[in-house]
Amino acid sequence: MNKKMNLNTVKAIALVTVVFCMAVAGYLFREHRTFKETVVVSDYCTEVKKLSDYSTAIKPGSVNDCNVYIYDSGVEGGTFLLLGGSHPEEPVGPMAADLIAENLKVTQGRVFIITRANKSASTITRVGEAYPRFFNLDTNWGTKTWRFGQRHAAELDSWPDPEVYIHYPSGQNLANVDIRNINRNWPGKEDGLISERTAFAIMELIRNEGVDYTLDMHEAELEYSVENTMVAHEKGHDVASIVTMTLTAETFDVPISMEFSPKALRGLSHRDIGDHSDATSFLIEVAEPMLDRIRGITDEKLLMEGKDIFVIKAGEHGLLYAPIDENGWPIEKRVARHVATTTKLIETYSMMHPDQAIAIEGIPTYNQLLESLAPYYRDPNTVDSSLIYFD
Amino acid sequence: MQFTMYHHAFVVLGVIVLAFIGAKKFKLNTELTLFVSAVAALLAHLVTPMGVDARSALPFTEIIRHFVEGTFTYFDVCMTFLSATFFMTLYKEVGGIDYLVRVIVEKFYKKRIILLLLLMVIMMVPGAVTGSGATTVLTVGGLVGAVLATMGVKEERRVGLIFILAAMSAACPPINLWAMMAAAGANMPYTGFGVPLLLLTGTGALFATFYMTRGAKCDREVNDVVASLPQAPEGWTFLKAIVPFIVLLVAILGARVFPAYWPVIGMPMIFGFSTLGVLLVSPKKVNLLEVGMTTVSNLKELVGIMVVVGVLNQILTLTGARGLVSLGVVILPIWLLFAALWLILPVSEGVLQYAVAPLFGVPLIMLFNMLGYNPVIALSCWAVMWPCGDCLPPTAVVGKAAVMQMEYKGDYYKGFLKNVLVPVLFVLAVCTVVMIFNKPIGSFLGV
Repeated sequence: MNKKMNLNTVKAIALVTVVFCMAVAGYLFREHRTFKETVVVSDYCTEVKKLSDYSTAIKPGSVNDCNVYIYDSGVEGGTFLLLGGSHPEEPVGPMAADLIAENLKVTQGRVFIITRANKSASTITRVGEAYPRFFNLDTNWGTKTWRFGQRHAAELDSWPDPEVYIHYPSGQNLANVDIRNINRNWPGKEDGLISERTAFAIMELIRNEGVDYTLDMHEAELEYSVENTMVAHEKGHDVASIVTMTLTAETFDVPISMEFSPKALRGLSHRDIGDHSDATSFLIEVAEPMLDRIRGITDEKLLMEGKDIFVIKAGEHGLLYAPIDENGWPIEKRVARHVATTTKLIETYSMMHPDQAIAIEGIPTYNQLLESLAPYYRDPNTVDSSLIYFD
Repeated sequence: MQFTMYHHAFVVLGVIVLAFIGAKKFKLNTELTLFVSAVAALLAHLVTPMGVDARSALPFTEIIRHFVEGTFTYFDVCMTFLSATFFMTLYKEVGGIDYLVRVIVEKFYKKRIILLLLLMVIMMVPGAVTGSGATTVLTVGGLVGAVLATMGVKEERRVGLIFILAAMSAACPPINLWAMMAAAGANMPYTGFGVPLLLLTGTGALFATFYMTRGAKCDREVNDVVASLPQAPEGWTFLKAIVPFIVLLVAILGARVFPAYWPVIGMPMIFGFSTLGVLLVSPKKVNLLEVGMTTVSNLKELVGIMVVVGVLNQILTLTGARGLVSLGVVILPIWLLFAALWLILPVSEGVLQYAVAPLFGVPLIMLFNMLGYNPVIALSCWAVMWPCGDCLPPTAVVGKAAVMQMEYKGDYYKGFLKNVLVPVLFVLAVCTVVMIFNKPIGSFLGV
């Protein structure tokens, strides 16, 4: 009798504990999923559209119906699309895109910015990776917060996965979870799953707006060979080589290399945007120790400071493709590299394609950003509400 | 002495080992033992200095979130187990297996080699198209095991053969989840793996089939053997018996042949449709609720382990212990790495299941790539070695599924594991040799 009562008591306690944990975790998951990031666009942003304006593949108001920030100078020139947030576990993409959107002035041509290319993937972290849900930057007006996510769209928006992902239209076999990875889904599929539809809608934007070139911003683990580099479609090899040589010679302490977009690996933006539109496609990578499997304690500090003694140890054994020392790869340096590369790409492309020239102002320099990112994110409490957008 | 993150991660790993031993002393089951280890690891993380610099705060609510998040790591795998087992339990209950066993024995009993090769192919197909050894065991393991019994293959060897063929089927192309996940993590296309995987798994499966059935003779009269088999309910025909498997194959292959038009429904739903196929053709009525209860009851240990291993994996990552283990592997001298991988890979599979592919696979691919080795051949070898560990504790997913499906009551270690040792070592040895000669073999195969 006593044993039975004891067992029932244990079961009751276990049940109450499980319900409590479910309630707490459920609340936190919901908070993550519904959190709205604030983007205070610069005074020169001319229009903000939604991705659903370009294609019915994305339903208005649905999770991946991201904002498209448009900066139209009204002066004839080229058109450039900047993509951030393809992989929300690579925070520099949305941070750099956001920073540019908050400071940009275009005096010739047009610039389109998407800060959250696969928003669904930013609403959940990757199971097994123990990621934080958010990351924060302290500014003199308060804390600016972003969602931290994963490479793949949330299972809530795209489940189940197939047993194998067969890329459309190439037919290449890829890992099943990559059907939720937008940077394996280009050029997209109108009636596919959410990441395929999102890629398709962005392709429609590229085709309908006559985009001349695109840049997709990423980060990579230091163990990965495609590191601190610009990957270019063959239409942009000349531009990419000059951009990377100039930045290496004049700006960066750690060189940025240039790589040809491989034709054998499908679904990547640098390959299939270029193949399926008139646009020239580029992709950039910067080192992020948080992504290395050999990393130590996983927390926001590692994410922001990029310091990890396990990764340094791997470097001592010659196992890394990027240098790392006790200074790590701080977020300022990573964002500064992507912003400086974007600026240099626009400058170089304009020089080499005068008929598609774009002129921009207002973007802080590499050295300014190295010092601090904080001054370049605008205080939403002191601007006109018409400049505030949420994504 | 300064307390660094190395010390921290070592302490966490040490506490996990101690908690595991302690929980086993108190005779807790594997699921609870792993859960206690995860809780102990987290407590050690919270109270042990984390290194020179202060780390980010870890609020109580976030700790709960990590635990709950970890439980979802193998959610898809658990759903597949449940739906596949429900399908096969139902098929067994309505007499489908009894009927098919009788047909196979009647047709092929006297043609031993053809029969063995046929059974081998039957075992390889489900895992090859789904990438899951457990799916193989749960779908055709019982059927093949029953036929092997008629050939006089000893029980331990039968279970062992079902396991090793299931492991080879999971590694068999076209779908090898370990290779796919590791390749995805390293941004390699999943191409060029077909031939090396087929050669490695084919060699392993052939050796295991003939080694484990050695001495078994088909010298009884076919009619006597058939008479000794359980009777199938009246009303079964060959066409009816294969309808559920046709549904399964059509649903899986349709997605391969017409990927642009075929809806993505996932393995659980595919098994759901196969179950409907069973209900459609079955001449016997059964209580579906009872079948469901049996399924859940049989699988609760397996699913429980998968859920808790997900939690442990999350805590290992959070605390830096996973990084330390991963770092420890990749900084081994290369000769030692070659000599140790045959042990490291199966053992890690036993602990982490598919999560080992990104954990070890990605750093190893990058290491081998950097050293100028052929990453396709090397990854193919690892991707065949990993599933060999699916019989090892704490998870032992496929091993336990084989034992459960074959209703084996003997000792897991002294009976089952001892019997699979030779074929498993054979597979590991072949893979190690191929890994050592990866460059000439890669050139020969053109990958």
